[in-house]
Amino acid sequence: MGFFSRLIVNLAYFINTSDAYQRKKRFFYDILENNRYPYKKYFDIFMMTLIFLSVAILIAEVKSEVDENIEFFNTYVISIIFFIEYILRFWISSSVTELIINRSEHAAMLGRKFSLWRAILKIIKVKLNFVFSIRAIIDLLAVLPFFHELRLLRLFVLFRVFKLFRYTTSFQTFVSVLSTKKFEFLILLMFSSIVISVSSVLIYVMEANNPNSPINTMFEAIYWSIVTISTVGYGDITPYTSEGRVVAMFVITAGIAVLAFTTSIVVSALTEKLDEIREIKTIDDIRKLKSFYLICGYENVAQEVAQKLKDSPIGIIVLDEDSKRIENAKKDGLVALNYDPGNMRSYKKIGIDLSTQVKAVLCLRESDVENVYTTLTIRSINKDVNIISLLMDDGNRKKLNFAGVNEILYPKGLVGIISKELIGRPVAFEVIHALRNDYYGVNIEEILVDNRMIENTMYVSELNNSRYRVILLGIYKKNKNRFFFNPLDSTILESGDYLLVIGNSVFIKEFEKYLHKKIRT
Amino acid sequence: MKNKAALIFGYNDYALEIAKNIQDEYSHIYIFSLHSEEDILKNKSDFEIKSFDLSDKWDYISENIDLENSIAFSVLEDIAENIFLTISLRSSFETLNIIALSNNKETADKLLMAGANKVIPLVQTTAEMISEMMEKPIVKEVFHKILFESGELKISQVKINSSNSYLGKTLSEIDWKVKYGVIVLALVLEDMNSEFIYSSKIKNHIISEGDIFIIVGYETDIIEFEKIIGSRINVHWSHWSR
Repeated sequence: MGFFSRLIVNLAYFINTSDAYQRKKRFFYDILENNRYPYKKYFDIFMMTLIFLSVAILIAEVKSEVDENIEFFNTYVISIIFFIEYILRFWISSSVTELIINRSEHAAMLGRKFSLWRAILKIIKVKLNFVFSIRAIIDLLAVLPFFHELRLLRLFVLFRVFKLFRYTTSFQTFVSVLSTKKFEFLILLMFSSIVISVSSVLIYVMEANNPNSPINTMFEAIYWSIVTISTVGYGDITPYTSEGRVVAMFVITAGIAVLAFTTSIVVSALTEKLDEIREIKTIDDIRKLKSFYLICGYENVAQEVAQKLKDSPIGIIVLDEDSKRIENAKKDGLVALNYDPGNMRSYKKIGIDLSTQVKAVLCLRESDVENVYTTLTIRSINKDVNIISLLMDDGNRKKLNFAGVNEILYPKGLVGIISKELIGRPVAFEVIHALRNDYYGVNIEEILVDNRMIENTMYVSELNNSRYRVILLGIYKKNKNRFFFNPLDSTILESGDYLLVIGNSVFIKEFEKYLHKKIRT
Repeated sequence: MKNKAALIFGYNDYALEIAKNIQDEYSHIYIFSLHSEEDILKNKSDFEIKSFDLSDKWDYISENIDLENSIAFSVLEDIAENIFLTISLRSSFETLNIIALSNNKETADKLLMAGANKVIPLVQTTAEMISEMMEKPIVKEVFHKILFESGELKISQVKINSSNSYLGKTLSEIDWKVKYGVIVLALVLEDMNSEFIYSSKIKNHIISEGDIFIIVGYETDIIEFEKIIGSRINVHWSHWSR
């Protein structure tokens, strides 16, 4: 390896490992390309404002003189900002240093000689790829009004409008939707260009020699056939001879076909992609959520659970691999995504952060195999998130425990204990069932004892709950991790304890409010 | 002689769980199976398996079972069959207590129409417990202890008898909480069958004979309370048919 190439490779290593350099590059990447970067939005808005300004100035210029300063701003300031943006994009589009390092490592591995020229050629190729991409060309053309002395170049301001695509994601989704129908558009283009070229040649042949006909040049012939095929039909040029009119009839018929075809392509592309667009929107919304329950699998139990949790301030997200069940979930008014909860990629794609966003994972498929699988998947991503699972067959209890479920619910076992309860104490069972379901407006609630509360209320006797017609069932003491039923009046309240109270929901609310407001007398 | 028995229709995990849990209460437990031959071969439990079909031939039951005090569970896995079975049992035995298993609200309604005294809403109960675990973990824990586990805390039904010093007083006058250590959750008035009134609503109810109090307390306190106030009762099942 020559001295010069060694120097280049060393330099590349140095830059590539430099923290400051990478941090800067990362920042510019985030602000230009990363849609999830929170400040990109402001950059986009700023650039869009510049674009609208320069278009407004272009319009103003047509009929009146524009102030010199504004003119200066339009041609130089905006253009230079756009040029800087172009250079930055050129920079972040690919990494030169990484390319050199890769090449040299590759050469070292194979025992070949590192060729600096080859590396440079490769770099040029990669960078040219960027330069010749449509977006980069538009960006470059948008800079051109800098040379405003050339009158025509002023119109390149309009290329700035195309730049808008860069800054709005909805435009991008629209373009990506249409690009799924590339093949259809190609057929359409071919069909219409054949019709246009054939008909314009025909009309030219039929009419150009007729002195009464308005069509005298090939340009006029092409103009006429485009105006006709698009079904616009200005009528400024019309065929005069009967032969010409026969051609017109064909073109008009073809025009209807072209129009219908175009509309149907766009509409079908949109309807096909509508679900996907909606899904993108839902995923975006989910990423913004602070805390939610993740329900994996939407079957009978899951439906009921979702109904019960709906009113809670914490959101619910449903994941299921079956599209029919997802349809059901959506009909029930839930945020549901058709992703396999047992697949690690699902969580990456949706961008769920299991450690901060998810309050609990509920594996509610009515199949132990699926629940074990989902549990293992989630556990492999996150060790701490709370997982609750259904158990369908008691024989699988161990497996679920081993997979890392925090709590297991075994409905069949529940039937047994419920029957025992129903035989022994049917009324008592009913009472608690009703309490749980808020049937008679009476509810049981947990009230958290916080610092503010204990400032004013030290003992159970000071709670005054009977005044609010609320029954104090007991206290859960946090430091002893135990529930104290019917506590003595002299029991001390501590921050972090929970009061279990029974009563009319309205009274409980009032009572809670009172506890927070109370001033020690 | 006719037996007091538990009749469980359907041989499956539900049936076995039920049988396991109620074997202390009922000396005779019969599990009836639609496909008895294979099930008897498979059977590893101690319970006796008998065969039945859905054709209204209940000779065995009417001859050997004390219907008044027995209880039937219909836990067939096929919903339609389960409803059919319930109707069939109800039409043959008017006084039999039937508890049926349902998996959703719709079947629950149908089973009640078919004549079940009580429906176990399995899916709802499971969902209730899950949502409670999420939203009110302590409530869930406490209820679970009171209802299902053999902890010290118990829930009980106590009927007021005639020789009682509290007759004629209002609920708010008496502080049983301090005196006996029990909390009155709700009460059932004698003239109302399946309505509860929660004690937070009935400040001024005058205690009269026959009222049933639903109390929560420690086992020893409850026994003490029962001695003074009345008797622990088992509400008759037929009161609970809607």
